[in-house]
Amino acid sequence: MQKVFPIILCLSLACLAQQDVTPPPLTSDAKPVPVLSGYAAFVPTWDGGSPTLVSIISPVLLVPLSSNLVFESRGAFEGDFQRRNGTSGDFTGAIQKSLDYAEIDYIGNPFVTITAGRFLTPFNLFNERFYPNWIRNTQTDPLILPIGTGSDDGIMLRGAAPLSPKVNFNYAAYFSTLSTADYFQSERHAGIRLGAFLPRERLEFGISAQHQLQDSRLTRYGLHLEWQPPQLPLDIRAEAALSHQEGNGFWLEGAYRLMGARQAVLRRIQLVGRTQLFQIGHIPGTNPDVPFVDTQRTEFGVNYYLNDGWKALASYGRTFTAAGDSNIWTVGMTYRFVFPLGPRP
Amino acid sequence: MRKLLIALGLTSALLAFAGTSADAPKPSASTAISSNRAVHERWMTEGEKRYRANCSRCHQPPHKFPPGVMAMAVRHMRVRAMLTDEDTKYVLYYMTH
Repeated sequence: MQKVFPIILCLSLACLAQQDVTPPPLTSDAKPVPVLSGYAAFVPTWDGGSPTLVSIISPVLLVPLSSNLVFESRGAFEGDFQRRNGTSGDFTGAIQKSLDYAEIDYIGNPFVTITAGRFLTPFNLFNERFYPNWIRNTQTDPLILPIGTGSDDGIMLRGAAPLSPKVNFNYAAYFSTLSTADYFQSERHAGIRLGAFLPRERLEFGISAQHQLQDSRLTRYGLHLEWQPPQLPLDIRAEAALSHQEGNGFWLEGAYRLMGARQAVLRRIQLVGRTQLFQIGHIPGTNPDVPFVDTQRTEFGVNYYLNDGWKALASYGRTFTAAGDSNIWTVGMTYRFVFPLGPRP
Repeated sequence: MRKLLIALGLTSALLAFAGTSADAPKPSASTAISSNRAVHERWMTEGEKRYRANCSRCHQPPHKFPPGVMAMAVRHMRVRAMLTDEDTKYVLYYMTH
């Protein structure tokens, strides 16, 4: 892991050498204002016949502190209400509160942002970019999501730069510390994610590595890919996670928006399919959040975008394991909101 | 571990201050925008292209928000979605004009 930082240094210096990239001759004079954004979601899920009423409100607070300093934070209030007796009785459950991130971003120069505080762990893409329900195409979490993700308290360097008109390079390198404080739980990690984005092809791919600097001191690796063919309203997303102790797995998702339909009502529909596979690791129980048996799951769904903020959804999936197969159904709504907290120009 | 921290610290210090804001493009006067229609159109076209290439990769392209909100959202996306400095300027220009 220690060898990767000189690599970042070299790559970043190479980016700095490209200061002759033609700057925009025109810039917007819009001044950022504090914003309260976020989403609400109600996604009842039937997994193996047991219903869970998943209800989430997740506010995001964005505050510009100066021209290159930003505070951003996201919390979540989630209630997973289940029947008292599994499949019968009234619904019961507690509201879980969590702080996903509360960080200060210092935009040091065009290629480097320094982040300090509590941040989303940049391991693969899903955790940072696709996690909110209003963004994700399939509502259930990927089986490999518990590997290497979550939130960490520490410091991070990240940024992106054009290597050429055809390729953008991006990176995130971080170090986090152990914390057991309420809402600030964190493990001691050192990690890195490197990626490349081809704007013309709309293709992004990359790798992640993370070393746990406590307990079993395990190392995890990740691979991610995202592709939007320019000629098709199609999103292809895929990730893999490799951990000798916790397990290995991948997921592959395709989402096709019916933009070519004649009726406007049909153009709001997105068809989704996702398949995933997980194989348990050599030390079962290392990560209690991943499946405890080899698991395969395939899901199909439909999203309906009512407008810019509202989305209705439904999906069906089948889970295959040595312990037995089961169905998983979801149906629900998500709503994304944005409120300016500052003066409107 | 000490080497790791030193490397991280040195890298952050070096990179954060190597390219200062003095290198950043200076905002042009608003009069320059109106007086250069061709440049404006070119930047709107490029801005839309980058907006479509970057924003819709994760979520459905949103409608335009007020300029102050858009400026904040683009800055947020610069960090969250790893937009380049150039992309943020183009996208913000497009979304606020």
